[in-house]
Amino acid sequence: MSARPEAAALAPGPSVSLRRRWRDADKSAWVWLVAIALLLLLVVNPLLRLLVVSFQQPDGSFTVANYVAAYSRARYLEALGHSLVLGVSAGTLCLVFGVPLAWALSRTDMPGKGLIWVSILGTFIIPPYLGAVGWILLAGPNAGWLNRAAVALTGADKGPFNIYSMPGLVLVTACYSFPYVFMFTKSALDLVSSEMEDAANILGAGTLRTMRSVTLPLVLPALLGAFILVFLEAIALFGSPALLALPGRFHVVTTQLWQFFEYPPKVGVAAAYAMPLLCVTVLLFWVQRRLTSRKGYVALTGKGGERRPVQLGAWKWPLLGWCLFVCTLSFFLPMVVICQAALAKAWGRGFALDNLTLANLRFTLFENTLTRNATIHTFLYAGAAALIAVLLAMVVAYVVNRELVGRRVGGVLSFLTMAPFVIPGIVLAIGFYAAYTHAPLLLYGTAWILILAFATRFLPIAYANSAASIRSIHPELEDAVRILGGTRLTAVRRVVLPLLKRSLAGAFILVFIPGTRELSSAIFLYSINTQVLSVLLFDKSDEGNFEMLASIGLVLVVITVALILVGFRLLGRDFMLRRTAA
Amino acid sequence: MTMVTRSIRLALAAAAAALALPALAQMAPWEQQLYDAAKKEGQFTVYTAHYDTETIADICAAFDRKYPGVKCNFVRTTAQVAFQRLQQDLKANLAVASVFSSTDISHYPELKKNGLLMPYQPHNLANMVDSLKQYNDKDNRYWVTAAALIAICYNTSLVSEKDAPKRWTDLLDPKWKDKIAIGHPAFSGYVGTWTVEMRKLYGWQYFEKLEKNKPQIGRSINDTVTMLNAKERWVAAGPEATTLLSRDKGNPLAVIYPADGALLMVSETGIPKNAPAPNAARLFVEFLLDKPAAEVQVKDHSLSVVKGVKVGPGAKPLEEIKVIRPTEEEIAKGIPEVKEQFRDTFGI
Repeated sequence: MSARPEAAALAPGPSVSLRRRWRDADKSAWVWLVAIALLLLLVVNPLLRLLVVSFQQPDGSFTVANYVAAYSRARYLEALGHSLVLGVSAGTLCLVFGVPLAWALSRTDMPGKGLIWVSILGTFIIPPYLGAVGWILLAGPNAGWLNRAAVALTGADKGPFNIYSMPGLVLVTACYSFPYVFMFTKSALDLVSSEMEDAANILGAGTLRTMRSVTLPLVLPALLGAFILVFLEAIALFGSPALLALPGRFHVVTTQLWQFFEYPPKVGVAAAYAMPLLCVTVLLFWVQRRLTSRKGYVALTGKGGERRPVQLGAWKWPLLGWCLFVCTLSFFLPMVVICQAALAKAWGRGFALDNLTLANLRFTLFENTLTRNATIHTFLYAGAAALIAVLLAMVVAYVVNRELVGRRVGGVLSFLTMAPFVIPGIVLAIGFYAAYTHAPLLLYGTAWILILAFATRFLPIAYANSAASIRSIHPELEDAVRILGGTRLTAVRRVVLPLLKRSLAGAFILVFIPGTRELSSAIFLYSINTQVLSVLLFDKSDEGNFEMLASIGLVLVVITVALILVGFRLLGRDFMLRRTAA
Repeated sequence: MTMVTRSIRLALAAAAAALALPALAQMAPWEQQLYDAAKKEGQFTVYTAHYDTETIADICAAFDRKYPGVKCNFVRTTAQVAFQRLQQDLKANLAVASVFSSTDISHYPELKKNGLLMPYQPHNLANMVDSLKQYNDKDNRYWVTAAALIAICYNTSLVSEKDAPKRWTDLLDPKWKDKIAIGHPAFSGYVGTWTVEMRKLYGWQYFEKLEKNKPQIGRSINDTVTMLNAKERWVAAGPEATTLLSRDKGNPLAVIYPADGALLMVSETGIPKNAPAPNAARLFVEFLLDKPAAEVQVKDHSLSVVKGVKVGPGAKPLEEIKVIRPTEEEIAKGIPEVKEQFRDTFGI
């Protein structure tokens, strides 16, 4: 607020003072306040209920018995340990997968960028459950295709791969989470101009050294944000651990949590059991702040700056090789399995001409009104949720980064925005249910409860992305507008938003896609008229109907990739008329 | 709506009414009475975990055909989710479900104890397969409306019928090492009940010996169908219905009803006390205990709870299968115990 106290003191009467105050006030403050209120409503409400529940007996009285029950057994602690190992390893592997790909697509003249981009999108869209089944068929110890191929090649009596193991689970988790790292890093790299790299080059650094000491440090906030996100996603995942960890004979937090929901459901114990995850998240944020607080990450200033792709020369082939290798693991190989099942009358019979059919796809798309409606709902809800989440995240990120509310409040706000991600979806869903079945917010049974739930659940993704992009824009651009008499809102509308058009689109996709595949909250909140595909997919897996499962998954991948490609075509070039890779 | 389509609709409705007339003529007085009362309620909602989505859609459609003017809506989900939702509805004072069909038998005593189920004596109980009648609530709060079996399932391209296991104890033969798939009792009520029954028949040593064959432990019982189709495993303690459905599509699967008994799973239906359409709910319960609903279920390989309904190829009618099942007390007491024992023996 920029109301001048001395002006108020000198004013002759209260009405004049008020009018003057109003004239002088920074009206954008209302936007920030509304956003903060919305944040409190969406996030704090369910979280608070969760905390309360963790200290409650079923009859509502206070107890710490839930915590005793959750932590007094070595079995439960062991599962926590496994989840930590899974989170850290998957996060690291995601960096190894995602960062070179992001650099290659954003900054180099590597060929085949379009193909890589589409397959990363596709990877992101495949529901992890489906990807995990694909990998069982590829690397199952007894009959996996890769193992059979290895046996045929080497003559050994057993193949080398076993997907039912911690390394297997890490690989599958990383395959379906590395797109986060990729998107984050790429949108940060897209904002770095070549001048800084040129400076390093002039001082005698080669491409590698420049990348190491200039480019990568500039995108460090994005990398850390992405790592945290992947870590959290990995420990909150249920589908793949249920498929891979149980046969591998070990538990993780989510498979253990599931058992707390067996009848009679011990919601209090589950809530207590989820609390360390919340603490780990707080810790990660603290580390991130420590690492990035006293450095500058401004990459985008008012001076324009040109971006040229790095000339790789012969190095482009090994880089392309790595990109293709990652995409093969995450997309092409599982896609072969999924297509085989979707196009088969009976997938257990394998490839055969007389086993081919389009009936599954036709049934999914045209004959079954349930899947058709669910498809429409899925895209509508995910789209609306992504819009809400991106707008809210953008406003909060802006408020926090430009310190419009003070540092401490800003820190709390940014924690709150990230918090929904650590709460396992199934637990969060119960918070939602409790929060939205009471007056005045009686949303149960409407599409809004799903949209708000999706928006809240994926708000952290939108926020982590927005925060990294806003950090990279120097405030001098907005200051120029303010100096010339524009309001803050004008500065945001005319400068910040156009600059961030592509980052915003990236954030939108990052929420939209998980929104289309979100299961854990949807299953508690959907109703007869608001059926979505993820729930339908879960039903199909519950029913062991793999042919239909695969064909719904295939439809989901094809439609979403097409929608996003059209969207990017429409967005076109960004504000600075830089050519952007896509 | 234009006049033309409206008149077409009217004509169709009249035609439908004319077709339905013989059925109407056959209605017993109690049925006619229920139907009239249900028509005033107009529609009702079923929370069900009994069937897959297509089956409940077919059942609802068959109900709408038999009783035009009473619309059947459904929410198909898993047992725990259905129960959780019902409880949340009750807490929030929302009356949504008129019929509640869970597959977790422990839900009903709990609901009954808290006075949350409406009493009713269905007229069609007389049609029920006799061996199932013992599982109906003696105070008429819930009734068996679905049944399923766990049997020995195998991949026919890997195992011949001659070599396939014929009894549960055959699974302990070392020749099945690394070739068996089972589910997990903590993740599947079916597997929990099966584990309790195996322990009752053969003692816990059954599972200690089974562990020597290194079975693959999946989450739900239906995961075994995926494992057999993928040829990752050869034989399984699996779900009869899902396996036969997958076989119908041409997958190389078959079912053996073990000589020492296939495990019987029963699932009940109750009417919540706050049902917004109690008469429609009663009519629906009667419908589930009648041949048209049973015929739909049999087509999708669910077992018929109604006597004298013809079954599909490869399956046997329930009356002809040797079935085994622990008592309700054994299940209630046994499942938490076997979950712990299971973890001790299999490490998971």
